[in-house]
Amino acid sequence: MQDEENLVGRARQGDQKAFAQLYEEHFNKIYRYVVVRIGDKTEAEDMTQQVFLNALQSIASFKWQGTPFAAWLFRIAHNQVVDYFRKNQKQPVALFDESLVESDSNPQRMAENSLDIEQLLSATERLTAAQREVISLRFAGGLAIAEVAKIMGKSQGAVKALQHSAIIALRKTLLSENKVLVAEDNEKD
Amino acid sequence: MRKTREFENILDECLERLLVRGETIEQCLQHFPKLANELKPLLETALAVNQASAIQPNSEFRDRARYQFYSALQETGLKRKRPFFLWRLRWAAVMSIVLALLVASGGTVMAASGSMPDEFLYPTKLVTEQAQLLLTPSALGKAELYTRLADKRVDEIARMAGKNKPEKIEQTAQLLNKYLTKIAALTSAKGVKVGITVAPSPGETTATEKTTALAAAQALQEATAAEKTSAAETPKINEQAKSSLARSIMSDRRAKLKETMGRYASNHPARLRALLETAPPATRQALLDAIAKSEGSYKKAIESLGGD
Repeated sequence: MQDEENLVGRARQGDQKAFAQLYEEHFNKIYRYVVVRIGDKTEAEDMTQQVFLNALQSIASFKWQGTPFAAWLFRIAHNQVVDYFRKNQKQPVALFDESLVESDSNPQRMAENSLDIEQLLSATERLTAAQREVISLRFAGGLAIAEVAKIMGKSQGAVKALQHSAIIALRKTLLSENKVLVAEDNEKD
Repeated sequence: MRKTREFENILDECLERLLVRGETIEQCLQHFPKLANELKPLLETALAVNQASAIQPNSEFRDRARYQFYSALQETGLKRKRPFFLWRLRWAAVMSIVLALLVASGGTVMAASGSMPDEFLYPTKLVTEQAQLLLTPSALGKAELYTRLADKRVDEIARMAGKNKPEKIEQTAQLLNKYLTKIAALTSAKGVKVGITVAPSPGETTATEKTTALAAAQALQEATAAEKTSAAETPKINEQAKSSLARSIMSDRRAKLKETMGRYASNHPARLRALLETAPPATRQALLDAIAKSEGSYKKAIESLGGD
């Protein structure tokens, strides 16, 4: 945390290398979050770029108050997602673009992942907005509960409750649609 | 209620073990054997969700985004190198606009951002956009901003068609054409510069430059670090790295702008044409004029970017 505070401080003072490091550390997570929230690859790419350009423009206004830099970035991304839905008057999750699946040398695994992604995005349509936000930040964004709570302006207890209810709802939806959950355990070969 | 909260805490702890520490579900359940039956299906679901959302941006997009970001970073760096008196003039102009807006309309600038041409706050929105343009230092940056504004104007024309306001369609279409003309002027071979480096024309952009742009970006990082420790020793190398990166970035930004303009040149007239089916008859002529003019202006703008 101390290192990040130092890095952010340097970026605020115009240190390009420091800001570049922050960019590299957070780019993929922001992209995943936006993709899972909106389900549109082209839009997600543009929005991810815009998140970092906005961050660059307003870094001087960032005040270190113990909140991780990621929380500030995800807040910018969250606001852009909200604007996107407002402007386009779309449902939060649209049909998924199959080309999003990362290239993989194992065709069987690719097929399983592709199916899972479609199932996930379809299932998240039935979640509440708050549950969807928790799933996007926690799993796609890879944030800890404390960080999710700060971004959403809720207590950690409230976010844990949302996480619990969202996972239950996702499981029910997936099972009701006779989907098989393909979860690869973390066992090392 | 208390039991539920305890379970939610345990579920979260298990998720931390799975997602952060890399434990397996079975390892995690060993810590909470009494809750294993309840936890297991939820953890399986959570793990599947986590794996499904582990999407990676493709490398082409990642490189393009990196170039654009480094370009913006470089622009912020260049701003500091401008002569102080120029900045004073620039900021004086911007502050005058901002102060005038604040005095005249209090906190209405934010509210104006979503206003439409037939609304009271629309002029404030246009002035704010002009201030944004004034704050954008490079010609290419201005062209990119004009492109985003052109997209907004088309949205507004569509809204005005729905409200049966042909005179507002005409006014907004004039703005749209003005922006497209500006884009053509700003992106012509003479117009675009990065600092003192003239951007390469499309013919000068080689495949090698594109593929080595990432290396150039890394060179910039190294050059920046080197500047701090031995600025006097290696100025020539640093300048070369920056110049190389600047060329790569400019080339990529022009390509991206051209791609966006190409998309808009097709989508915007198509969108206005589709409105002819549903818009009130009184707006038909204004829409037809807007389509005809914008098509011509788009063509010129794309040509200036090295269009086919």
